[in-house]
Amino acid sequence: MSNIITVTAQDGKSYQYVDNGDPMQGGMKDVYFSPDKSYVVAFFRDKQDFNSKERLNNIVNTFRDRIFNQPGGEYWKDLFCWPNNIVERDGKTGIIVPVYQKKFFFTKGYNPGAAQIVSIAGKEKEGRWFASPQFRSRQFKLHLDESELGDWFKFCLICIKIARAVRRMHAAGLAHSDLSYKNVLIDPITGSAAIIDIDGLVVPGKFPPDVIGTPDFIAPEVMATKHLPKEDPARKLPSIATDRHALAVMIYMYLLYRHPLRGGKIHDTDAQRDEELSMGAKALFIEHPTDTSNRPRLDQVKPTHLPWADVNKIPYTVCGPYLKELFEKAFIDGLHNPSLRPTADEWEQALIKTVDLLQPCQNKNCDQKWFVFDNTTSPCCPFCNTPYRGQLPVLNLYWSRKPGSFTPENHRLMVYHNQYLYPWHVNRNIYPNERLTDQQKKPVGYFVFHNNKWQLVNQTLTSLKDVTEGKDIPINSMVELTDNKQLLLSQEEGGRLVVVQLVNN
Amino acid sequence: MRRLPVYLLLDTSGSMRGERIEAVKNGLQVLVSKLRQDPFALESVWISIITFDREVKQLLPLTALESLQLPEITTPESGPTNMGAALELLCTKLDNEVIKGNDTQKGDWRPLLFLMTDGKPSDLAAFREVVPKIKNKNLAALVACAAGAEAQDSFLKELTDTVVHLDTADSSTLMSFFKWVSASIGTGNKSVGTTEEIQLPPPPAEVHVII
Repeated sequence: MSNIITVTAQDGKSYQYVDNGDPMQGGMKDVYFSPDKSYVVAFFRDKQDFNSKERLNNIVNTFRDRIFNQPGGEYWKDLFCWPNNIVERDGKTGIIVPVYQKKFFFTKGYNPGAAQIVSIAGKEKEGRWFASPQFRSRQFKLHLDESELGDWFKFCLICIKIARAVRRMHAAGLAHSDLSYKNVLIDPITGSAAIIDIDGLVVPGKFPPDVIGTPDFIAPEVMATKHLPKEDPARKLPSIATDRHALAVMIYMYLLYRHPLRGGKIHDTDAQRDEELSMGAKALFIEHPTDTSNRPRLDQVKPTHLPWADVNKIPYTVCGPYLKELFEKAFIDGLHNPSLRPTADEWEQALIKTVDLLQPCQNKNCDQKWFVFDNTTSPCCPFCNTPYRGQLPVLNLYWSRKPGSFTPENHRLMVYHNQYLYPWHVNRNIYPNERLTDQQKKPVGYFVFHNNKWQLVNQTLTSLKDVTEGKDIPINSMVELTDNKQLLLSQEEGGRLVVVQLVNN
Repeated sequence: MRRLPVYLLLDTSGSMRGERIEAVKNGLQVLVSKLRQDPFALESVWISIITFDREVKQLLPLTALESLQLPEITTPESGPTNMGAALELLCTKLDNEVIKGNDTQKGDWRPLLFLMTDGKPSDLAAFREVVPKIKNKNLAALVACAAGAEAQDSFLKELTDTVVHLDTADSSTLMSFFKWVSASIGTGNKSVGTTEEIQLPPPPAEVHVII
């Protein structure tokens, strides 16, 4: 028996939901759909105290405004599932939350064989499905359909979206406090992510956290002090610094399908205590360069977790130089020293630069389909071990501090057939983020391998110049990429110079 | 990867015949399907089913969730409810099937036990003898479910503090219990509170948790 119930929010707006007596149950809330399924009403099962209500009030009003009612605020609607109003009914507090976009629900879910046993079509794509190698292993009966898995490029995009959303929250002075694959939905098909369950936001000094996080993502200092009373000054609770740990873990897991701290080292024979130590006081990076005591023990991992569990086969360095540096900061320097952890902004920048290093794998059957150029003369896909054959152009980016002289930027762009060049490659004052104008989202040129030559076709660059030959490259013409060729992409302020490097093999 | 062993001890004595046992079978189906839609459970949960009536049988040895097949469950016409003997068998299985951590190998998570009955132990002496042993097994949770009016909570309370009483043992109530069990198994993947660890999700409305 379904009833449509109307509730009125404090600001007088009215909302409706369908009560069929069997709401979806989250950790703390009962969730009901609106009749048109455009939003949900989520009631907290427990009575919310004054402080919690005050927090919710701030979340739906002040904090929401701070992020959404700004220039470019539209952008965040896709990245956050942000509650927008509060209702009360029978003494219970509820929040109005937009429904998740369709892409965050499985269309196929399991492979056809498994789908006959049990189906997950229509279920939310919570991150755990994609952070564990077994669901992509054909040896595992209940593995996901290939069409759901995306590729490595898409996972880089997912990580960018998550880092960007977290960066935005932190910039507003907010900590999520419970980042986990449950609270971040992802879609590997389109490379999207959305942060959900925002009602637990922590505001330092104002609203303390209710939760310490979700296992796998709890920062070591929080784990190590969770036995202390909340009032104890030594007790560490979720904060922006612990969000940074959770973010690093999430990025590591989405790119390498294993947990950075879950290795073979044994701290205690009791599973619970061992867990607390290995995620807390004694946490140790499984790929620590000198302390190898926590390397995964391959004789003890499930075959469905290979090759990902084998850190010698697929070390974190396959993620390229920018992420390597941040993983080291997060899991070596900053693991027990929160102030050294990379910020969400650093992750976003490093991931964006990493995307520029991606090369399509030449093996049509490669599951990852993309890999990071390893800066050698014999590049090879680290996932399927297929070597790259043929000429490979690499563009090294330079910028001009003062007219006439150019300094390297530690930023490279790998070229592949049919790749686009974007404004943010051309001008260092343009960043690919939420502030891009529609015009800046359009490609300005593209690279093709044409008649056995690598060419850059100019679509809209008004001042592209072949510096080596000393001639302008007008729109709708092309320039060949040869070794050591220098191209000035733009003569405007912030315009970059690229030096072409041709890797032959 | 640690396993999470889940033991289900089910009363299959004569009084369960008919609607009740059908409800249990349905409940098990739903339990397994629900867990198979949960990536966290699929990474860790292993299930074993032990039934007890006149005889005590481990119908399903501890098996990974993705590969298990639910066994056929039958009930005799009548006869005793040898719950004590079932718990005794459980002790042996806990010793043999659950991997203990040592210096070279990570052990399993502490096991979960769900026991369901619509009556009371017929082998009371054996039951009372085995209770302290079970308590020593360091289980992560021990939930006893008393289903129906004839089920007696008092004995179950000797075994565990968490006794769930179902007023009726009809199919919809039993189903809600099995749904609750599947949610309980999934709690390891949920947010952990700042005050104390969340152990179990709230039971469905028609269930009374007796503490």
